[in-house]
Amino acid sequence: MSKIVAVHSYKGGTGKTLLSVNLAATFAKQGKKVCLFDLDFRAPSLFAILKVDNAEFWLNDYLNGNCDISKVLIDLSSRIPGNGKFFAGLANPSTEAIREMSAKDRKWEMRALGRLLSLRNSLLNDMEFDYLVFDTSPGLQYSSINAIVAADFVVVATTGDRSDVDGTRRMLRELYNLFEKKTGLVMNKVLDPTSKGKLAEMDARVKNVYQVPMLGLVPCFCEILRAEGNLIFVQDKPNHPFTKILDEMARKIDANAVN
Amino acid sequence: MLSVAGVIVVNNYQCFVRLNKPSMISTAVEHFKTTRGKTVTREEILSKKPLHVLEKIRENLERLNEKMEVMIELQRHGHADVQPLSDAPLDVMTLLSMPDHLRKTAMTICRCGRATAEEVAEQTSRARAVESAYLNQLVIMGYLKKERKGRKAYFYADRESQR
Repeated sequence: MSKIVAVHSYKGGTGKTLLSVNLAATFAKQGKKVCLFDLDFRAPSLFAILKVDNAEFWLNDYLNGNCDISKVLIDLSSRIPGNGKFFAGLANPSTEAIREMSAKDRKWEMRALGRLLSLRNSLLNDMEFDYLVFDTSPGLQYSSINAIVAADFVVVATTGDRSDVDGTRRMLRELYNLFEKKTGLVMNKVLDPTSKGKLAEMDARVKNVYQVPMLGLVPCFCEILRAEGNLIFVQDKPNHPFTKILDEMARKIDANAVN
Repeated sequence: MLSVAGVIVVNNYQCFVRLNKPSMISTAVEHFKTTRGKTVTREEILSKKPLHVLEKIRENLERLNEKMEVMIELQRHGHADVQPLSDAPLDVMTLLSMPDHLRKTAMTICRCGRATAEEVAEQTSRARAVESAYLNQLVIMGYLKKERKGRKAYFYADRESQR
């Protein structure tokens, strides 16, 4: 069963953070104990989306070996309806921290991988979390590949952009396959998804071009653009079609039904 | 006359051993020196420790076997891609650039933290002897460390010492 889910993409702006936040919130809404981690150390964003500005310890501190993971976790369960638990581990957004994280060497990255791998024991086994969701940085960077290696399942966010299609295809072949990772593809920002033949065309493209299972198809919703990152849709708009799509994605991952 | 007999199991092969002449014992002992340079002495054998001696012979045969597996592996894949290094970091970019057969083994050690060849073989569904060869190759390349505890050899990536 996939317990650690990494959300990744080849290019930026494909909707990784939107998917990560809402996927984690969906799991929590379904009564699960979940933790969302911001592993995009070059452009941290979860602190702003989750409106947290008082973190005492950041994920950077844990990866640097300066604190235990329990110190990093921020309990945001009160923001989610239902009995689920929603925690977050945030990346430090200060310029100094971003600069410091960009200058890490290979040995540090190796230790960081060890610390990410040990979350399986500390959070899933000891603290009984049901799911860990990693929001990663795009492309082939140390932090995102570390997250992919530590994960059980990779949600690959992609759009119809030609450069994104080509890069995603290469990444599927030359990254996820090499690490033998289970993957599911999310086609995001799809225009006219209800138009005749669009769904079939998308399905065929995923099957032929990417050769991985389709996890979901997300239309281009104007409400998402209008929200400007101020909404957790599954919380604020429970009846929105995007919320329904996320419910289905979470169900597929939870049931291990991505083939 | 002293007689020492027993069964040695090495790499799933059972060998019945009977050493009933002091001269034979001496000959056998000469062949099984440990890697630390210790020799099983004739006195040890004659001081009524037959099982202990057989145990030592078995351990030494196992070590010999591991070395042979590494040599076979090196021959099979050629020496070119095996550059002995000390404390080379086993980071994700290194994992990506590894040949597939070694990446699978290295990834398993990354996940387990510390494991024997048998434990790795259980995860990869490959033969223990194959995993033993790959693990020893990764040790030679400097990516893994090896530590013996009794009869078991544990392999691990020494992350914390690499500062």
